[in-house]
Amino acid sequence: MHALIDDAVDVIVSFDQNRVIPKRMRWDNRIYNLKAVNLIHTAREGAKRVFYFSVSDLTNSFKLRLDTESLEWRLVETYTA
Amino acid sequence: MNRIILHIDMNSYFASVEQQANPFLRGKAIGVTGKRKERSVVAAASREAKKLGVKTAMSTWEAKRILPSIILVAGDPEKYGDITRRFNAIFRDYTPLVEQFSVDESFLDVTDVAQDYLGATAIALAIRERLRTECGDFITASIGIAPNKLLAKLASETVKPSGLTVVRPHEAIALLDRCALQDLCGIGPRIADRLGDLGIRSFAQLRQFPLDTLAAEFKSYGLWLHNAAHGIGDDTVSPDAEDPKSVGHSYTLPADTSDPTVVQRHLLALCDKVAWRLRRDGFAARCVTAYVRFGDFSGAGKQHRFQEPTNNGLELFKIAWGLIRQNGSDVSLKQIRLVGISASGLITGSRPTSLFRKDRNVVSTLHALDKLQTRFGDRAWTRASLLSTNVLERTSGFHYDHEL
Repeated sequence: MHALIDDAVDVIVSFDQNRVIPKRMRWDNRIYNLKAVNLIHTAREGAKRVFYFSVSDLTNSFKLRLDTESLEWRLVETYTA
Repeated sequence: MNRIILHIDMNSYFASVEQQANPFLRGKAIGVTGKRKERSVVAAASREAKKLGVKTAMSTWEAKRILPSIILVAGDPEKYGDITRRFNAIFRDYTPLVEQFSVDESFLDVTDVAQDYLGATAIALAIRERLRTECGDFITASIGIAPNKLLAKLASETVKPSGLTVVRPHEAIALLDRCALQDLCGIGPRIADRLGDLGIRSFAQLRQFPLDTLAAEFKSYGLWLHNAAHGIGDDTVSPDAEDPKSVGHSYTLPADTSDPTVVQRHLLALCDKVAWRLRRDGFAARCVTAYVRFGDFSGAGKQHRFQEPTNNGLELFKIAWGLIRQNGSDVSLKQIRLVGISASGLITGSRPTSLFRKDRNVVSTLHALDKLQTRFGDRAWTRASLLSTNVLERTSGFHYDHEL
């Protein structure tokens, strides 16, 4: 099931060869261990660049938004198989 | 010297990107729609959906009727636009001669870097590998290699997905003779019907047909058809995007309506989008076309040319609304499904300052709003009258709304 949301989340990332890789996310007091980064894309909001990370664990797909000005992570989409 | 042209066509593009982003969609029949799934079309169907009869541009209700289990995914134009930029950047690592033909296909002239067809094949394989590592396993492409763009595109479409088809100059006729007339880009159903009326149903018959009779029937297009049947086509890859001839937007309303206020609000929102694009790119328009599509899918449109160029959304709206009213389409009597506006007759350069303070104030206000929008994006401001009017981005097409 697909859902559009817009919640602030905490994300632990690793840095590997100039790439940011989300590893773990806390959303709504639950911890999700992210198994795969499937796609990363960027978008512009005026002069600001925003990164979107399409990630997944074993049962859910998430789309995370990283604001490069505020460095805030938000969960914007979920898909549960 | 014969050129060596690559045509690279991403397979089931939007659907493949969605399957790359979401592993739970892989191997499933999905259709990518507009931002709204209802009253929309399937902008791209996954391979699995295509196998079960769903076609690109099919309405979503028809796709659901054919395949009730299809998963409809709302399109994400920002994502597709970014991946398009990414794969074109990969192509430019191999040759500066890259022509983006559409959002999911490009032509590359590799004559100088490849030198021969073996070199071109090596480049194609290297590009395929980079697509896999830099875009993802599920974002695949079919590649055609041929002496001109027409044959390269035809070649890429012969094997899908992930095809690699090489057509050397002496193999062009054999390729054409294996294909139907409508397989060639430039021969649509109407041209094929007219050719059929002349007794032409294959490229072999088209080659045999007298050129002067073709020219009499199709005017200058007759020569193009004659050349195409002989494997002759344009081999110039133009990396520079041409200036647009028009700037336009259309929008399918959330529900058919006969309420003029609803139509006006959506039209004004579209005019503001068009006007912003004109100002951003340094254009002003001297012609406006406004059109509506009714609930029964009939439509009406009208054009107006004027002397004083404009890039003010409100002025465009006044002209466009006037055209819709003039059109005989009494908005209060007919259910309107879609509204659209196109600005053309574009000119560049500075225009004389108005003598009237009111006009000068409008220009300076728009300038200030443009600065705001450049800094904070297209949601930075809206007219009070449009606060309740939400125009969603479209999924398909070449120039995405989100670039506004």
